[in-house]
Amino acid sequence: MSGNEAAAEGAMRAGCRFYAGYPITPQNEIIAYMADHLPLRGGVFVQAESELAAINMLYGASAAGVRCMTSSSSPGVSLKQEGISYLAGSELPAVIVNISRAGPGLGDIGPSQGDYFQTTRGGGHGDYRCPALAPSTVQEMAEFTYLAFELADTYRNPVVVQGDGMVGQMMEPVALDHLRPPRPHQKPWALTGAAGRPRNIVRSFRGVKGELEKHNIKLQEKYDEIKRTEVRCVKIACEEADVLVVAYGTCARIAREVIAWPPRRLPGRVGLLRPVTLWPFPCRQIAELAERVRGVLTVEMNAGQMVEDVRLAVEGRCPVHLLRRMGGAVPTAREIADKLVALFG
Amino acid sequence: MPTTKLKDLANMTDLLSGGHAACPGCAGPIVLRLILLAAQQEGAYVVGSIATGCMEVCTTIYPKSAWRIPMIHNAFENSAATISGVETAYRALKKKGKVDKDIRFIAFGGDGGTYDIGLQSLSGALERGHNFTYVCYDNEAYMNTGIQRSGATPMGAFTTTAQAGTVAAGKAQRKKDLTAIVAAHGIPYVAQASPHRTRDLMQKAQKAVATEGPCFINVLSPCPRGWRFKPEDSIEMAKLAAETCVWPLYEIEDGELSINYKPREGKKKPVREWLKSQGRFRHLFTPRNEHLIEEIQQEVDRKWEALLKREA
Repeated sequence: MSGNEAAAEGAMRAGCRFYAGYPITPQNEIIAYMADHLPLRGGVFVQAESELAAINMLYGASAAGVRCMTSSSSPGVSLKQEGISYLAGSELPAVIVNISRAGPGLGDIGPSQGDYFQTTRGGGHGDYRCPALAPSTVQEMAEFTYLAFELADTYRNPVVVQGDGMVGQMMEPVALDHLRPPRPHQKPWALTGAAGRPRNIVRSFRGVKGELEKHNIKLQEKYDEIKRTEVRCVKIACEEADVLVVAYGTCARIAREVIAWPPRRLPGRVGLLRPVTLWPFPCRQIAELAERVRGVLTVEMNAGQMVEDVRLAVEGRCPVHLLRRMGGAVPTAREIADKLVALFG
Repeated sequence: MPTTKLKDLANMTDLLSGGHAACPGCAGPIVLRLILLAAQQEGAYVVGSIATGCMEVCTTIYPKSAWRIPMIHNAFENSAATISGVETAYRALKKKGKVDKDIRFIAFGGDGGTYDIGLQSLSGALERGHNFTYVCYDNEAYMNTGIQRSGATPMGAFTTTAQAGTVAAGKAQRKKDLTAIVAAHGIPYVAQASPHRTRDLMQKAQKAVATEGPCFINVLSPCPRGWRFKPEDSIEMAKLAAETCVWPLYEIEDGELSINYKPREGKKKPVREWLKSQGRFRHLFTPRNEHLIEEIQQEVDRKWEALLKREA
């Protein structure tokens, strides 16, 4: 199946019972798959009249205690930002799948990682963060979307699955049997009818002086806890590495191929660190490796966004370089190898 | 009123050139070309905007453009807002004497960009009273992204997000009556048109472009890919839509409604013929869904009767 279909399947296996979406390339397969399958599994599929409507439908569905998801691609996710900020402010769990494409503006439908800042810094207004998972295979599209629902409910927070047009469109075999129906999360805060219990209030508006600051402090404490417990990354051949490549998503796939090349084509032993969570970012893991490698090469399909987080993590322990492609272009394995040789050969 | 004679038209320059990337049989470019020919006859310069959609994508593949007029594309939801800005700037420059040309503004959008996501910006522009014409080419779904249902998709039609199978029978909701919604803004000119009646379509475009204030034309644009019919039948489809009264041709000038085409007494075709002609309605012709055809017929009749009554 395609990566987009795998994301939809993973969501349904995680118990997603409400989906609202709006057409945009390259993620239309998610909508079509949800339209096909979700109603048959007891869920509700809605094609909204806009991205704004879709994200705000999630506000309602999530407040009612239902596992819910929307998906879009970069320009559409930009439109959703107000709603995501409201979800975060109201502490409502929801999953947003972003199959990103090249920008800015209309850009093109080619794959891109240009939404890294938007995804990892919150994206909308106010102080908030959303955990962001970056799949690099079709299998992970299913697994990470499944995991996103667990994280969302655990922390009462929106979670982003940050894919791109490449992993969304590519087709690979997928194993799904292990994605079993999860144990239901208790949601005592949900608006399920207040008969026989005190009423619940879901809101992001806090008009009483001082209350909003308290709420913000509480949110920040939650984000600190997520940073302590939910950092995920994959290290390949890092133990013996002289040089480290940091890449996620599609770029990590390509870099993984390069580090397996014969040593004579590379400047020594090259390891790959692949952030799985873009936020929280694997700062400590990168810092540890930076102590003993000659340098770091970050590979990204944007102008250089994650490289800023890598530099913050490395803190000058070794040089940090960037290989970037933009506008829907994808770096080739040879490009990465040539850059490594040029820098460290 | 300027000419709509074939002889004259043949000597004019198409403001939308051939060589664009529309699918074979697409009615969209025909609609756009006829409207632009009509607008040109006013002797005025035309400046256009277009929302994201089939026509935008297939006419503006960088570095090429099929447009022979200045054309601005912004995003999906804001063709009307974008042209509002352009038209306001024009008025300001004209007032200062920095522009002396007579410029007419036409905003284009598909049904997704007009009925759904662009409705807010369209309504705002109509209410503010900008001097422009909005043309909706209505192909009754999001065709550019792979046939997803829109507010314009008729009841019973299959789309990739309104499935037809053992449980569902295509789109369960009725088509939004956008022309009526726009007319409710009380703007000077509103019309519904179709590419099979070229003279009617062009006259409507001429009226709209010549009229001071916001005007709106909703044009049915048959889509062979999305509706599932042979590419050579596009104009036949448009004709059938009018003959079955699925898509009545009418105009509202300063609140006065007149119907531009009425099937002769007893010659109004059953909606069944319209449904039968397209693959997107195929599932309706099964014992399980057959009753829906009657429902659709009743709905078409009800709206047609209401239109006749309003005209009278």
